[in-house]
Amino acid sequence: MQHGIKRRQWTKDLLDQKREDDEKKIASYKSLVKSMFQCRDNDDYTYEAIELTTNLLDMNPEFNTAWNYRRDIISSIKTQLDLGFWKNELKFTMIQLKKFPKVYWIWNHRVWTLDNFPSQQLTIWQGELTVVDALLELDSRNFHGWHYRRMVISKIEELSHSSLNKKEFDYVTSKINKNISNYSAWHQRVQLITDMLSKDQITDKVDFIKKEIDYITNAIFTDAEDQSVWFYIVWMVKFPTIRALLSKEDYSNFLRELKDNALMINADEVDFSGKENVWCLKIVLEIEIIQRLLCEPIVEAVSKDYLEKLIKLDPLRQNRYRFLLSKLP
Amino acid sequence: MLSPERRPSMVERRPSFFSFQQPTPLIVPHLAGIEDPLPETTPEKVDVLIVGTGMVESVLAAALSWQGSNVLHVDSNDYYGDSSATLTVEQIKRWVSQINDNQIPCYKNAKLYVSNDIGPNGKYQSRTFGIDLSPKIMFAKSDLLSILVKSRVYQYLEFQALSTFHTFENDSFEKLQNSRQEIFTNDTLPLMTKRNLMKFIKFVLDWEQQPEIWEPYKDKSLAEFLVDKFKLDKPQVFELIFSIGLCYNIDTKVPESLQRIRRYLISFDVYGPFPVLYSKYGGAGEISQGFCRSAAVAGATYKLNEKLVTYNPETKIATFEDGSKVEVEEKVVMSPSQAPEYSYNMPEQKYEVHRLTCIVEKNCSEWFNNSESAAVIVFPPNSLKSGNKEVVQAIIIGSGSECCPDGTCIWYLSTTQQGPRAEMDLDAALEAMEISIIRESSTKIPEDDNLVQVTQDGHSIVNSFKLGQSFKEYVTREKVQLLAKLYYTQLTNTPPFNVVNPALFDHSQEQINKFIPNASDNGVIYTAMPSGEISYDEVVTAAKVIYEKIVGSDDDFFDVDFEDEDPMAMGNDGTAPTYDENAIEDDDEDEDVDMNRDDDNNEFVGKMEI
Repeated sequence: MQHGIKRRQWTKDLLDQKREDDEKKIASYKSLVKSMFQCRDNDDYTYEAIELTTNLLDMNPEFNTAWNYRRDIISSIKTQLDLGFWKNELKFTMIQLKKFPKVYWIWNHRVWTLDNFPSQQLTIWQGELTVVDALLELDSRNFHGWHYRRMVISKIEELSHSSLNKKEFDYVTSKINKNISNYSAWHQRVQLITDMLSKDQITDKVDFIKKEIDYITNAIFTDAEDQSVWFYIVWMVKFPTIRALLSKEDYSNFLRELKDNALMINADEVDFSGKENVWCLKIVLEIEIIQRLLCEPIVEAVSKDYLEKLIKLDPLRQNRYRFLLSKLP
Repeated sequence: MLSPERRPSMVERRPSFFSFQQPTPLIVPHLAGIEDPLPETTPEKVDVLIVGTGMVESVLAAALSWQGSNVLHVDSNDYYGDSSATLTVEQIKRWVSQINDNQIPCYKNAKLYVSNDIGPNGKYQSRTFGIDLSPKIMFAKSDLLSILVKSRVYQYLEFQALSTFHTFENDSFEKLQNSRQEIFTNDTLPLMTKRNLMKFIKFVLDWEQQPEIWEPYKDKSLAEFLVDKFKLDKPQVFELIFSIGLCYNIDTKVPESLQRIRRYLISFDVYGPFPVLYSKYGGAGEISQGFCRSAAVAGATYKLNEKLVTYNPETKIATFEDGSKVEVEEKVVMSPSQAPEYSYNMPEQKYEVHRLTCIVEKNCSEWFNNSESAAVIVFPPNSLKSGNKEVVQAIIIGSGSECCPDGTCIWYLSTTQQGPRAEMDLDAALEAMEISIIRESSTKIPEDDNLVQVTQDGHSIVNSFKLGQSFKEYVTREKVQLLAKLYYTQLTNTPPFNVVNPALFDHSQEQINKFIPNASDNGVIYTAMPSGEISYDEVVTAAKVIYEKIVGSDDDFFDVDFEDEDPMAMGNDGTAPTYDENAIEDDDEDEDVDMNRDDDNNEFVGKMEI
């Protein structure tokens, strides 16, 4: 019984065997390539030629010439191909993608196939959205996945003449809830809110913004070390549309409470570990800059103090801090 | 004579799925006394004789056999597993009488009730139940799991996820909230509490590297540390200590409890959103049997119904009850549960573990998450009517584990409380569980428009008269049907708050050189009986310690190099597979786990179907 026998002196035999197998594979590959070029040079745009490229691409999906040739053939015999062919083409790219998820040529071919689908365009692209959903389930922080998602969504919106913003917003929220450190999800949130506000898709804007403020406050208390959250907050604080939508009083309160929370969190951090939280220092800085710009009264200004701290704590950006220091009244 | 009935074996039940990446179907090796007949004779000479086929002994047998030692592994019972066995109801009946006849060392006070519904004329057949004598849960990041992967014994087993941990507080069961995700989305936690909890979680994941934070508290209890340093409140403190840390009482010291809490948190998300796994078809009984099969492949000889009578360290001859003898070149290792008469060298088993196991006629699905079939309930100190000083821990196993038929489940309760109080605590916990499952599974209070009314100024009031009626009605409607109830006390020499201490074995080392006249067990190394510990934590440590005593060092403990059946089973680009035999790497390496090797464990991790 072969099961679980302790290995002995197999390695040399194994290597020899492997070399033999490799040689066979190389020969077969080379002959496939030769055949393909022959066909192409003979202007062979038949269904059989597609098979040739299939075998070749199965062995080496990065051979872009083969993809191009394949697309040329498909385009020229378009009228002879039925829906089943196109569905198989999608299946083919999916099989390849599972083996080689990072090869751009396969993605390109998939998008080309989706774009050229002879019918049921909307259904096809909606199906693609579920594919992206599954992808992002497996790796929710893959920005390639998110970029692809935006592309798919825009195609669906184009074909259906509707906006998916609200649904996407809920999707993004669920992704952030699962993992606050999902930078791509926060980034998408920015895109969505900007778009929704500009297209007037939010009924009670002030309420929406106030809920958003609660959301990010919850986030910084749950994890004050996560950069994704802080980048988002800086955007929120500086985004002119938000400032314009809130009343002067509401906006002042927003800034003031955020500053108080940041100070509280920082004080707690110093108390616990003796270290300052650089993000807290930075956000307070940004707030005070805006407050000065708006000629707002600043309660217990700490900018000078914090800038001096940041010069030491974040030496990479020390020149910026020195510059800001010089600009203080 | 072999047992009249036993559970279906690993070979008899095929794995419930097939891995497409396996070129040939898995062959589970046969084991003497199950698929193969018992050998008529035993070898004349062996390197190591191991007596008892419990967890520690079986892991040891496999480790030694793969290392090259010649092992004879025997058990006086007619089943495998010894103190860790998984038995049918009939086997349990027999086991209980044996305890009450003083035939099984280290067990006492066994009481059993079995309803007529279980039996040849009853609703349920005895062998459809697999009852663990030593119920355990396995952490996803643990040394046992590493060994299971390294030795490939995991291939004979199937595991299921267990993600539900309930804490019993104020007469109700609260589900655990421990991940950043749950803390973030929890609407009831105040903001500063969220921050404090997260601070602690981040700290504990790396606690050994931050002595400046915990060392000032190293002799204090964890509760003090959590309140002082992290400003946590009682509910969070209790959850962390008792449900996540699975500690036994409030006095557990800081370093031990931090280790236990960390163990839970790092196990989370290794294979999925759960920290713990449970073995299907039976827990420790199946796993120890798996290691025996592995040992058999590596050359160990197995014999059941073989009772050691005496060992003579001078002649190195071990004698069995049937008259056969074997010469043992190196060492004799024995479980205290197999100790023969006149075993004066056995260390005192002075700690008690009290257990109460019930078969309940309810499917208890209200307690399980999604598609899981098991849960853990923890009763912290002073949460029960009996005023328990020690924790009561309960594992609930549903029928999805194939350890009991549909519509039933098994409740394993245990406590490290010593003495007669223990039974009171177990009974109180049982009662609380019965009330809870009835409440959760009974039909809801009927939607009655007149039950809740809204007054003119917007307040809602409940028609208390009607509510009272509803409650009265459903409380008397149902009672939990117990199909079986088993009490027993198991003795151990592992103190209830420690994992096995290597120093415990030095005790027997002194005695190896000091022979007690007329003792039947001079020169024998005793293993440790299972303790009250709910996880398998102690097993590998204990096996390693003994391994080292025999072999000299534990460097090559399970350092096995398996020949792959198919050397052509290579990656697409023609290179040999570079996977690590260890799906779990050591703590000091990267936390990332290579999931590709655990095809068989993907049963519960969602697979992408496109």
